[in-house]
Order: sequence, then structure tokens, then C-alpha cells
Amino acid sequence: MTASGGVLDEAVAAARSLAEAATGWWSPRLRLGVTGLSRAGKTIFITAFVQALVTGGRLPMFAAQTQGRIRRIGLTLQPDDAVPRFAYEENLVAMSGPQRRWPDSTRRISELSIEIEYESNISWFGGSRRLTVDIVDYPGEWLLDLPLIEQSYAEFCRTSLEAARKTGRLAIATPWLASLDGLDPKAEASETQAITAADAFRRYLVAARADQHALSLLPPGRFLMPGDLEGSPALTFAPLEIGEDTPVPGSLAALMESRFEAYKRHVALPFFRDHFARLDRQIVLVDLLTPLNAGAAAVADLEAALDHVLAAFRVGRNSLLSALFAPRIDRVLFAAAKADRLHHTSHDRLEAILSLLVERAYRRASEGGAKTQVLALAALRSTREATVRDGRASLPSVIGVPEAGERIGDEVFDGLVEAAIYPGDLPQDPKAALDAQGGLDLRFVRFRPPLAERDAKGKPKPAPHIRLDRAIEFLIGDRLA
Amino acid sequence: MASNQPRAFRLPPSDAAPAQTAEPRRAPRGVSIAPDTSLEALLTGEATPAVAPQVTRPHRRLFGFGRLLVSALGGLALIAIGTGIEHYVTTLIDQNAWLGGVALALAAIAGLALLALFVRELAAILRQRRINALRERALRLSESRDVAGMASLVADLAKLYAHRPDTARGRARLAELHGDVLDPRDRLAVAERELVAPLDGQARALVAGAAQRVSIVTTLAPRAVFDVLFVAGQSLWVIRRVSEIYGSRPGLIGFLGLARSVLSHLAITGGMAVGDSLVQQVLGHGIASKLSAKLGEGVLNGLLTARVGLAAIESCRPLPFAAVAAPKLMDVAGALLRKSPGAPGEAAAIEPH
Repeated sequence: MTASGGVLDEAVAAARSLAEAATGWWSPRLRLGVTGLSRAGKTIFITAFVQALVTGGRLPMFAAQTQGRIRRIGLTLQPDDAVPRFAYEENLVAMSGPQRRWPDSTRRISELSIEIEYESNISWFGGSRRLTVDIVDYPGEWLLDLPLIEQSYAEFCRTSLEAARKTGRLAIATPWLASLDGLDPKAEASETQAITAADAFRRYLVAARADQHALSLLPPGRFLMPGDLEGSPALTFAPLEIGEDTPVPGSLAALMESRFEAYKRHVALPFFRDHFARLDRQIVLVDLLTPLNAGAAAVADLEAALDHVLAAFRVGRNSLLSALFAPRIDRVLFAAAKADRLHHTSHDRLEAILSLLVERAYRRASEGGAKTQVLALAALRSTREATVRDGRASLPSVIGVPEAGERIGDEVFDGLVEAAIYPGDLPQDPKAALDAQGGLDLRFVRFRPPLAERDAKGKPKPAPHIRLDRAIEFLIGDRLA
Repeated sequence: MASNQPRAFRLPPSDAAPAQTAEPRRAPRGVSIAPDTSLEALLTGEATPAVAPQVTRPHRRLFGFGRLLVSALGGLALIAIGTGIEHYVTTLIDQNAWLGGVALALAAIAGLALLALFVRELAAILRQRRINALRERALRLSESRDVAGMASLVADLAKLYAHRPDTARGRARLAELHGDVLDPRDRLAVAERELVAPLDGQARALVAGAAQRVSIVTTLAPRAVFDVLFVAGQSLWVIRRVSEIYGSRPGLIGFLGLARSVLSHLAITGGMAVGDSLVQQVLGHGIASKLSAKLGEGVLNGLLTARVGLAAIESCRPLPFAAVAAPKLMDVAGALLRKSPGAPGEAAAIEPH
């Protein structure tokens, strides 16, 4: 099942793929999809990925670089002129400058291309070859629109109300559900009513996303991150209690339905078609630590969100026909992001929990013939490791500068002082993370970006990371063979 | 499994400035924080004391009767020589005091030299055992997820090569990665690539050169006995040099242990190898030998030396072949085929890769 918008759209997409396959003979392009919900670390991953490649960073497991076959890697022109350029340089300055802060949440879509000039081990003709890697960054919230494309307005209302009435969310959703009582779906359509309904719904979504609940499955995505569409009619709709009857024309329900369809047709579908339908490789970044902080309900919600989102991608091994007309994603990397917030001895368990959460997507990908892998990753490592001996216990901890305002136990940090943090032990059995009675006592703390080190000559040293080289090798290494 | 409460620990202030406004409200409650700082140790070649893993040796016969015989005979010979020398020196002292004194001094020096040789042999045997143990440990650890164990293994490997200046760059690169979080298999792959791969290149060149030399000389040698002597000598030399390249420096006894395979190989070949390798069959019996019997034998002897060299590489290498491909017979003996005189058509047809 993939999101589709009709026969004409499919035909256009097929023609475009064929054209790209034709030009790909002499200048191959690889579209790398960085998939992840909001705050998963996509922007930082893209920045670190590009920086590590362009500056020749410390990548011991990146075979093409250690074998010395890379001639040059540089930024190049992006393929779509209408899409803004990824703010790579600004992000670097923000993370390594004197303020050392993480980039803001992504508000709009942007793109970046890097060109790799290399020599191949197995080619018949000698000489250098080029590979261009296109990477797209977008707000993670928009990813939640993908499952909406297949839904009708009635289904959307039903699923939203069911989710809101579940025990985990009922407390947060009460104000919104209360406001629904005052609305009659069959009444005359009124713009003010639509606006208030949409506002109440948006406030509920924002509250659900806050850190103490850390819920993830919150469609439609543009409500949380509107981008250019802030205040427009396409975003002024909300679920109503309509049951299964078709809306009466001219009523509030009909207005909402038409706006919903407009949203799908003009907002969600083009986004999917332009950026997700033609991916070659995919990395799915998952921030497990924030939901683990919040509890089993958040983790279960994350599982549901990932399941919905990943079902929209076309994954599998490419046959000759599919490579020409409808290319599939043939390698998927599931990465547990921000792995520098815990000691490396817990990385196994983190990977096990992630494997459990994306089990369905993983199985679907493997059965389709795609190569898959699960890794604990930190694109930029902001901590170093230590062992703290507290009395008789020996606690594996990480040392870094916690962000101002972070709290653990009774301590509140000011963002200037270093501290050693012991975040708690991950459970041995990954199912315990989903168990509401699991009794997990975890507190993962956010850290500030690391101090940029300089070597003896004053040049900045390559930024530290955890397993970024393995991710690079898995995603693009075989195309550089 | 009890899960400890998550908590934070202020780091003890590094400089002794007394009145700082940013002093923590409460002093750390008796915690001691030990960051991993064995970076310098790795660079200078001293490994941090880590938990030594249990090395399960393969079952060895504690009591080999052959070994017992050799040791007993050696002791007997030593006693005979010792008493003979003593008798000679005492008679000489009776006859001529000064000459006798000189003879005594020489005998003492000989005794000391024997002792030093003995100690060096022992050290060499222990060193060879260390390398074997390292290889077995690497094989076992690369399957597990034991990060600390692999880090200590890599540190031991660096210590093994700490006195070789040509490995300085590899050791420095390895030390750079010391603080990074790498999976055990990846760390071993990096160690193999940085430290051991350059040595592989040297060993391979050595074996190829020896194989070529042997093939040329035995083609030209007039008698069969010269063939055998030369091949034996070159094989022993190859074994010794390969083990030196990998850092083992065997003494006489350790070397004999390695050289046992050479004798078995010589016994098998003898001009007509019922080779286990297709190459040997083809070359030995087929093309080269059709051109000239001597040529066939020459190439065959070269291949024998190459096989001995490959066996020596495998047994002297401190790590199993994981990240780097093991050299095949074609890699070291390819030169034989290219340079062998005779019909260039056939020789070119068996060009490697």
C-alpha cells in the first residue's frame, strides 16, 4: 500500500522516474530520505552527515574513505530550484560557535546536494566517477500527513476521536472534547465556528506533544507546524462527531469535509509526491529517549505513529521495471538517535527496543527484499563516558553540559556547568518499555553541543559521533564500490 | 534487576579557586569519577590493566614422550660436555696455571652465553605463545559484544608493536579512535587494517620473492640434491623472516616448532605433487612440465615455497584474517607464472585475475 493520488499522478510520476533513470546513466543521483518525526534529529543528522563527508571526518568504517578512493566531496547545486537550500553553514555555526546551541525546529522544507568524486574498485573503465546525493530536510510533523492521504473525512474523525478517548490521552483531550459538544455538524456552516473548532483541536495537539506526555501520533501535521499555510482555510478544519452519515451540503460537516479534501489534495499529496515517492535509500531516525522519559503510553504511541508513517513508503528490491518507473527504497536504516545520552553499554538494549517498535516495518522491508539494519546512532556526540562509583554501586554515566532548565531529581542545571549524568538502566527485556507496569525509572537529559576541538595547527578537528560512519557506509557505501 | 535511580553528579572543580560564585550547593557525596584516560597509555604502548579474559587453550598433551627424550638427551649432552670441559680445564691448570686460567675464563663465558641463549629462547617461546593467544582471543571476542575486552585486546596488540617504529603511524591512528564508541568487530577491523595490513604487504612480498628465487634456482641447478637443499633452506628462511615481520622473533626451539610443517611438505612433494591446488596440478603436470621437466619442477618448487610461506603467515599473524583478505596462492605465486620462460602464450593464459 502506498499513498496514491489517482492514475494521472501515477503516470506523471512514472514518466519522471524514467527520465531520471535515463539521465542517471552518466550522472547517477542518489536520493537519500531522512525520515523522522519531529525532534528526532533530522537536521542535525543531515548537518553532521554532510560535514563528515565534506571535511573528511573520522570515519573508520566508511570503506571508500579508508581505502583512499575518494577524490573530492563538495556541495553542489540542488535539483529543485523552487525548494530552499538547507541552511548547512548556519547550522554549523550555531552548533560550534560560542553560543553552542542546537538548531531550531525545522519550519520548512529544504534540500541539499553533495557530489562525491571517487574511483571505483570494480569498474571496467578507469578514471573517476561521480555520485550525487540529494538530501531533503522537512519538518517531522508533516510526516504524519502521509497516512491521511488514504483516509476519508469520516475515517479521520473516527480515528481522531477514538485516539482522544483512550485512557492515555483522555486527560489532555478533555477541553477539546468538551468544545465538540457545543458544535452541531448538521447546522449551517459558519466560518467563526470552524475557526474556533480548529483552534481547540490545535491546542489539544500541542498539549499532547509537550514533553511530559511526548505523544507522537498527532495528524494532521500542519496543525503543529504550519509553515507557509498559517491561518489559511486549508488548515481551518477539525474532526466532528458525524458518525457514518454523509454530510448535508452547506452544513458545518460539509465545510469541514471539503477543507479536509483540499488539504489532502493541495498540501499532503504534493509533499509526498515531490519528495517521498522517489527515494532510493532511507534512514528512519527515531528519538526513543523522550518517550521513554514520559512512560509506556508515549512509547506505545510512538510505535503506532511509526507504523502508520512507514507504511506509506515503497520499500523493496528493485526489479528492472521498477527501477525505471517506480523505484523502490532498497536499503532502510532504523537509527535510534541521540545515543550519546546514555552509556555505550546500553546501546544494545536501545537497539532491541527500537527493533521491537518498528518490527512490522522492518519485516515488511526485509520481505520485500530491501536490506535493513538497526543502529544506535549519535550524529553529533555531545558527551563523553565515565564510570561513577557511588558507595558500592558502579554507575555507567555520561559527562556533558546539560541544557539550561533541564532537571533530574532535585537538580536543575544552568547550562554552563558540566555534570555526570546517570540516566537509569534500560530494561533487559524490550517489551518492558511498552508495559505500563514496567516500573522503568529513566531520565535522559538534553546536553548542549560539544566544544569544538582544535588540533595543534588551530584547524577544527572532525566532530565526534557514534556510528555515523557505519550509517554512511550502509546508506551510500555500496554505490561507491 | 534493581534499577538505580537516575541522578546527576557535579564534577569536582578542577582548579583550586576558593570562592567561586558557581560553587555547587552541596559537595559531591564521596563519589569518585574515573573517566577513561588510557589514551596516552595506548600511544606509549602500555595497556591499562583490564580484566584478563580466561584463555581456554586447546587441549595439549602435558607429557610428550618425544619432548622428554629430546630434553633428556640434551641434558645428558650438556653434562658430558660440561664434565669434559671441566676435566680439560683442571688438567690444563695443573700443567700451565696461566693457560688454565684463561681456559677457565673462556669456559665461564661459554656457560654465561649458554644461559643467555637459553633465556632468549624462553622469551621467544613466550612471545610466540602470546601471539597465538592474541589470535585466539581476537577470534572469540569478535563474536561477542564485549567492548571493554576488545579495547584491551587492541591495546595489547599495540603494546606488541610498541617497539617497531614503522608501526608508529598505525598506532597513532588507533589511539585517536580510543575514546570513540565502536563495536568490537569494528574496532578489531580498524586495528587489523592500521597495524597488521602493512605487515601483510611486507610478508607477501617476501614470500613472492622467495618463491621466484626458488623456481629459478631449481630450474638451473644441476643435481636433485641441490634442489632439495636449496628449497629446504629457503623455506626455513621464509618462515623465520615472516615470523620476524609479525613481531615474533623465534629462537631456535620455537623456530623448530614452526618448521615442522616444512618437513611434512617436503615429504609430500618430491617432484610429483598430487597437489591439492588446481594450480599446482595444472602447472606441475600440465603445461610447464610438457615444455621441460626441469621447468615444471622449478615452478613446482616455487609453489611449494609459496605454500610454506602462506602457512607461516597464517600461523605467525597475531590476528585472524577478518577485515583483510587472506592471501591466496595466486597472489604470491602469480609472479612465477608471469616471469617463467617458455611459451609466452601458455604463461599469459594463466595470468592471475
